[in-house]
Amino acid sequence: MKAKRPHVALASLAAVAAAAAALVAVSSGGASSANASATPSGSITVWVDAVRLPVAKLYVKTHPKVHVKIVLYDGDGNGATTMQTKIQLWNRAGKGWPDVVFTEQANDPVWMAQAPYNFAKNLKGVFPASLIAGWPAPSLSQCTVNGRLVCLQDNLAQEVLYVNKKLMTKFGYQVPKTWQQYAALGAKVAKEHPGYIIGTLGDSYGHWLYLWPDSCPISQVVAPNTVRINSADVHCTRMAKLLDPLLANKSVSTVTIFSPDFAKAYGGDDDKILLMPGPTWYAKDIFGGTLKVPAGEMTAAMPLRWNNEPLTTGQVGGGPWVVSDHTKNVAAAIDFVKFSTTSFAVKRKPGPLSPGYPSYGPAATLWLKNLNRDPYFAAPPGAAMKAAASLVWKGWSMVTYPDQPVWSNSVVTQLVAGKSLSDQLSALGSGLSNNAKAAGYKVVSK
Amino acid sequence: MRGLRVPRGAAFVLAYLPFLILFGVAPTIYALDLAFTDANGGWVGFHNFVRTYEDFRFLPAFKHILLYTVVWLGALMVFVVGLALLLHGRANRVSSAYRFLFYIPGALAGAAAVVIWLFMLDPTVSPASFLLHHVLGADIFAQSIAPGNLPYIFAMIAFWTGAGAWIVVMYGALNTIPPDLEEAARIDGAGAFTIAFRLKLPLMRKWIAYMLILSFATGTQLFVEPELVQHASFGLVPDTWSANQLAYQIAFRYADFNGAAAIAVDLLALGLVGALIIVTRSGLFRTEDD
Repeated sequence: MKAKRPHVALASLAAVAAAAAALVAVSSGGASSANASATPSGSITVWVDAVRLPVAKLYVKTHPKVHVKIVLYDGDGNGATTMQTKIQLWNRAGKGWPDVVFTEQANDPVWMAQAPYNFAKNLKGVFPASLIAGWPAPSLSQCTVNGRLVCLQDNLAQEVLYVNKKLMTKFGYQVPKTWQQYAALGAKVAKEHPGYIIGTLGDSYGHWLYLWPDSCPISQVVAPNTVRINSADVHCTRMAKLLDPLLANKSVSTVTIFSPDFAKAYGGDDDKILLMPGPTWYAKDIFGGTLKVPAGEMTAAMPLRWNNEPLTTGQVGGGPWVVSDHTKNVAAAIDFVKFSTTSFAVKRKPGPLSPGYPSYGPAATLWLKNLNRDPYFAAPPGAAMKAAASLVWKGWSMVTYPDQPVWSNSVVTQLVAGKSLSDQLSALGSGLSNNAKAAGYKVVSK
Repeated sequence: MRGLRVPRGAAFVLAYLPFLILFGVAPTIYALDLAFTDANGGWVGFHNFVRTYEDFRFLPAFKHILLYTVVWLGALMVFVVGLALLLHGRANRVSSAYRFLFYIPGALAGAAAVVIWLFMLDPTVSPASFLLHHVLGADIFAQSIAPGNLPYIFAMIAFWTGAGAWIVVMYGALNTIPPDLEEAARIDGAGAFTIAFRLKLPLMRKWIAYMLILSFATGTQLFVEPELVQHASFGLVPDTWSANQLAYQIAFRYADFNGAAAIAVDLLALGLVGALIIVTRSGLFRTEDD
């Protein structure tokens, strides 16, 4: 009686997962041409999200000696707990672990590397050190848990300001350089061109786009297992105050860009997006793909700064690859991650294989060159992205619990109902504190 | 005669018994064991219950499911019984066509039905967008699923998928009423309305109680609807909206199977208390000669 409904849920989820796995379970079959003996062989299982699927399939195609089983899953997106669930079940069963996992949650490796999960393998000494040197230091530090390198980021996701050059020129507007100019422009847009927007707070990561760049301390690990959460800090409140009028005059939306509502209202040939703070992976993929903004309109500008204070920006994801500590085929698992993150076949240009800014430096250089050449953009967006890569505020730490659900269900639901952001900050703070405490953190405000 | 009835009934029960023990009784005992012990198997009394009760998500989750269950049971009682009574008064062909129509949504598996509702609730694609606009004041999906609407929306989904089957059951119940009773009432001058409410309704009481007991348990164990809506809305709905979801999160996010078992036992107790109240109030197990 007790477990009746979850069983239904689990059974249907399992059925969906099995069907998905069956759909994408591709194997290379018998390899005929024997290469050098150093080539990895044997079989591995990799779990990826939909975005990483083409890369995994390419690996299968180009590595006939390795038998790869690909399992498609939700990538733990938006704070889902699929991997937590799975790893616990594998740990309980004592078998079944995949060899390589990709997760959309940049914070996932933090819990994967610790008890009771103990899933992530230390890549130091296993992954070629010469290649690791190609990752920027902040990215490696984000992947370092208790001194062990437990993941490698697939892409960097620094925030820039996307600009619709065509519309901005048409309306005679200047691209803002500061949040103050941004707010002033919002007031003007609402008056002169109602219906057009300069951003949205409705995404599950809205706080990473608007509170992170102003160094709002609501996810700051200050000591082992101690996190500073203070949503009443001036760096949170002043940004909320700046955004409140923009929400009220609707120049900043409260709808997520991934919803059909958003695409219908602001996308398409007559798109109404003037400006949009967003991560590097938006680029052509989101504007050209999801939102169908025509070519020759968008480009990227430097992230916004607060008056004349030092410039810092936010980050949205930058999903990492994690190798299982239980893998029996280290060579193939490492080779797979190496291929996915550093090979030019995958990372050389923006596209389905590499929508985001490559975290591996040499690949990023090539990727940016090709990005700048892409006729989709009204002007080369690469320079701003490159500059923003080193500007991500470091005071926002990765923690074991996901913070997006708190932002979504305690803040976005209220913004959608027409409330102000300032009024939601205390709920955001207490929601995050509750989650932090439930995850075993000590919460401090200073 | 009485001695023979037991083994004869046992033949029917035996086929089901292994499944009941394997998937019903054994997991319940396992949950009870987990709920009163810690991760190492040591006895901890009510510690897990106190601990989970103090969780910041515990009370909201139980408030949500209680409100949802009340709304849903109310709708079931009024509409299922009402529709069954209406159908029973109709000509057989008309009534069987309607019974079939009511039953169709229930033929969809739970998760699939919820996916349909995700479209129904999205004003940009919903055929009922005018209703969403006028009743819920929603022009976008995020407004349709505003926190205050959720218990009603989930109740609506559950009603839509489950009511048809109960209408069929109730209709069957009505068929057991001897026609002479109805005829006698009519001769005594009772109209259709009086027959439905003074004659048929009291005779259906036990079936209604049966429906309420089963529905009360499934209602408090709500899981699929909020879970799918949570995923579809990118987290606008908390992943611990219902008590069952909270148990799931505690088990799998925090690796705390004992805490999760405590919530499961809470739900079991809630279901038992609900059933006890309904049984004693409706005289469900009272036999004719009592």
